[in-house]
Amino acid sequence: MKKVFLLVVALVMVFAVSAASAKDVVIAFSQIGQESDWRTANTDDLRSAIENHPGWKLVYDDGQQKQENQIKALRNFITQDVDYILFTGVVSTGWDEVLKEVNEAEIPLLLIDRLPDCADKIDYVAAFGGDFVEEGRRQVAWAGEYFKSIGKGDVDMNIVIMEGTTGASAQTGRTEGNLKALAEYPHFKLVGQQSGNFTRAEGQAVMESWLKSIDKIDVLIAQNDDMALGAIDAIKAAGKVPGKDIIIVGCDSVKAAFDAIVAGEMNCTVECTPLYGAFVVPTIEALERGERFDKTVVHPEEGVFDMDGGIDLGSVKSVKAADVIASRRY
Amino acid sequence: MRKNLNLSSIMQSKVTWAVIAEMLILLVCFAIRPDFFSISYQPSTGMLYGSLIDIVNRSAEITIISMGMTLVIALGGTDLSVGALVAVAGAIALKFLRWDVLEYTTPGDYSVCPYILVLTVPLIICALMGLFNGFLVAKGGIQPIIATLILMVCGRGVAQILTDGKQFTTGYSPFRVIGQGSFLYLPMPIIITIVVVVAVALFTRKTAFGAFVESVGVNPSASRLSGIKADQVILIVFLLTGLLSGIAGLIYSSRIMSNDSNNAGLNFEMDAILAVVIGGTNMSGGKFSIIGTLVGSLIIRTIVTFVYYFGIVAEATMAFKALIIAVVIVLQSAPVREYFAKRAAKRVKVSGGVQA
Repeated sequence: MKKVFLLVVALVMVFAVSAASAKDVVIAFSQIGQESDWRTANTDDLRSAIENHPGWKLVYDDGQQKQENQIKALRNFITQDVDYILFTGVVSTGWDEVLKEVNEAEIPLLLIDRLPDCADKIDYVAAFGGDFVEEGRRQVAWAGEYFKSIGKGDVDMNIVIMEGTTGASAQTGRTEGNLKALAEYPHFKLVGQQSGNFTRAEGQAVMESWLKSIDKIDVLIAQNDDMALGAIDAIKAAGKVPGKDIIIVGCDSVKAAFDAIVAGEMNCTVECTPLYGAFVVPTIEALERGERFDKTVVHPEEGVFDMDGGIDLGSVKSVKAADVIASRRY
Repeated sequence: MRKNLNLSSIMQSKVTWAVIAEMLILLVCFAIRPDFFSISYQPSTGMLYGSLIDIVNRSAEITIISMGMTLVIALGGTDLSVGALVAVAGAIALKFLRWDVLEYTTPGDYSVCPYILVLTVPLIICALMGLFNGFLVAKGGIQPIIATLILMVCGRGVAQILTDGKQFTTGYSPFRVIGQGSFLYLPMPIIITIVVVVAVALFTRKTAFGAFVESVGVNPSASRLSGIKADQVILIVFLLTGLLSGIAGLIYSSRIMSNDSNNAGLNFEMDAILAVVIGGTNMSGGKFSIIGTLVGSLIIRTIVTFVYYFGIVAEATMAFKALIIAVVIVLQSAPVREYFAKRAAKRVKVSGGVQA
């Protein structure tokens, strides 16, 4: 009886697998891990977009912030002979070999959010992601234009930059943008630059030390909102008022940052949208229809959100955070 | 003659060299910026405020975990799961603080489970996970490094399942007290650390338990033959380490008022092992030093604070940390210690001879 039962189970499984592989388009996604609210929103959006698409099947792998896990996952995808690979790398270097293997297996590669350094040496269908350099520029430019708007445009200000995980393309891009924009605002003096690893705990510890080692900090540029939120606690512990004594500019626009801005503890967050589902799904549909892409770069449209709105940054005008907080999904 | 022996044995001790290393690092800090040592009273938080306070405060998690790790290493093992348990504790606590709401909402818009559950359940679960490690080692005869690897790998997965892969944020103020509150002008994590260190020291030194641990670490079979229940000792040590990881997890998540299943406790097992080794406990088991471990943990945090305070460029941070730790380890190596012990012995002998 038991044997018969096992046989039935085995047969059902074989049928299930073959039925799935016969029809479904298998899309594999190697994600970094769950490092922040932003990443969670990114994962959820892509997962639901693909899983809810009829005829599509998602193979998801969480890399837990380790490059070796992601390399292993990519090799597994090749062995499983999936139809498409979506990929976000935890760091920007060291992907050459495994991504070439993906190319050799002739699996279309779609890069999500972060471009690996070897992007010009490998083939990919499309890259979806924010313009990190522009985001970095907007962070500093917002602070500069904000001071102009309150009539302090020619007052010297001390600025600190809290960078993300060293080597991540979001860190290198935003740092480049930060420094480029600093040159345009000569009244900003860079007095500190350190990595907070994109996490709240380290953002808190770095800010705590800065408040003691640097006499006067006027502006904090944090390359993601989580570090800014950590820093807010450290600023409070030092007896200063975040958002007033120290102007805080974050990046990503997670909901917790909106709460902080509405509560007056943070000044601005530059958006880096994680909602790529709406861009990725049409691209894969087009590929399925036989359309051809070659290294198409898709920048989703992004905004800047602050306390009062109306700061003009050239390419974009800031929006009052309180007006849009209800419609934010992450 | 007795004085002679004492000085040379002090110079032989690894703990002495750990203290000397910490002094040297602090001396360098003092030489660069004397105000590194300034401590003031911060009226808005009711706490003392200064870099030295930060070092002790931020070392709390590693110090607490490494108290358990000291005993595990004295048994001749290692516990790799402690970092993952930190994430588990945070995830459970935040799950109870955000019981019915999975998607992000403004702090205050969700029901909170009884606070006692927020505090006790993570600790009980972590203690049980520690007991699971101990069971595999004591009853299953599996090497500790392999046995604890299981929870190291799947612990974070458990944490993510518990919180649906999300990072919850809470505004519940009683929870803030653990990591950001104060008591007697000191940050709460320092108070918790003191309590834990004193409790572990009393438990191991005022009872025979410490001697049992050392005995089992040196030779489990001989200990068993002499009437020590080796299995029980192993179970208690791993349970304790799990519990302490849980306490560290509550402190970590209270500091950031959220759970962080991937980053909470990341590499804490390595830092804890390093603290124990710098503190003079031998990886092959046997004698251990609670005070040494405490100093070891402070050294690790002093280096991190040094990096932040003096603005070492982010790219060079790792190399800088490794360099300092290498110097500390070399200072503690047998040849260096013996050299200084001999010199000390000689000097005492010579001066003693003149006086006589």
